[in-house]
Amino acid sequence: MCHVSVGHVARGVEAAGIPTVSVFVRAFRHVAQQMALPRTVITRHPMGRPLGAPGDAATHRRVVTAALDLVEAATAPGALSELEAPYRTRGAATGS
Amino acid sequence: MASGYRGSRRGQTPLASIAMTDESLEDFKNSFSYGTRTDLSFKFLKKLSAADAGEFLRQLLEEVGASLDHGDITRLHDLVYEWQVRGYMPARDAPTQWSYEDGPLTNLGKPLADCTVGLLTSSGHFHAADDPAPFGVVGMTQAEAIERIGEFLREPPELSVIPSDTAARELRVRHGGYDIRGAEADFNVALPRDALTALAKAGRIGGVADEMYSFVGATSQGRLRRDALPGWIERLQQNAIDVLLLVPV
Repeated sequence: MCHVSVGHVARGVEAAGIPTVSVFVRAFRHVAQQMALPRTVITRHPMGRPLGAPGDAATHRRVVTAALDLVEAATAPGALSELEAPYRTRGAATGS
Repeated sequence: MASGYRGSRRGQTPLASIAMTDESLEDFKNSFSYGTRTDLSFKFLKKLSAADAGEFLRQLLEEVGASLDHGDITRLHDLVYEWQVRGYMPARDAPTQWSYEDGPLTNLGKPLADCTVGLLTSSGHFHAADDPAPFGVVGMTQAEAIERIGEFLREPPELSVIPSDTAARELRVRHGGYDIRGAEADFNVALPRDALTALAKAGRIGGVADEMYSFVGATSQGRLRRDALPGWIERLQQNAIDVLLLVPV
């Protein structure tokens, strides 16, 4: 339901003249698509951690950078950017 | 870790007192979603068939066994992720209540390097000195928020305004709809203030807005759109926000 709520905020804010970009976890990609959101970045992360693991500042920054890139690149509503990086790199101990 | 943060409900039935022999797999998997074993990272089990939930548990145990030897638990994370995706995947013929043919698009009016970027998330974060006090309850625990999720879904949302220079120790998070442990350990997993600040320093954006916004996304959709959103938009405009980064949780 959270994703629908933010979808409504995105549509309303965008229609009011402020460009928006949303960061969704993959499990809720269908919500972004059904709601025809202006721009959405999809991460392969688990629910509750859309930007990445706690303490993983490098991943947080990569996701935000991808979101900003999409704001510049999108020319039509429904723009989707799917990031391929997994939640954690195999064998790497990141996080808190 | 304090009790309640995994989503365990206060006063829940101790496992030992449940008649395990009489419990079906169907009941067991459903108990993780606002039941006797509430765990919001695994509430998707309720959306799986009993056969699929059993297969998920089998794969999980298989990977736990394998990790005893290779020591790498990332495969466990991958499994949880993959089955969450599967659990929330809508059925092909499922009715979609909130579906739109097309949507709005506003083009950037100026280069990003000149833009003030704002942050809005449905994470349920708030400043410790500004508790939104749902239903008049100041200091509501996460466990109570989980208990009262049905009420949250009927009520209008409350927007928490958080000064962008708020220290991590001054931030709180409470939300009965998801596992808040990650957002509690590091708010940046849902409210990426630090990443945005770094990108402002690097010149990628003009700056970060003076205030950030969070609300509990488990809320009445009608009241969000009709009662709350117009005021929120006005606030964004008054704060000269040029671009808004939104993060649902």
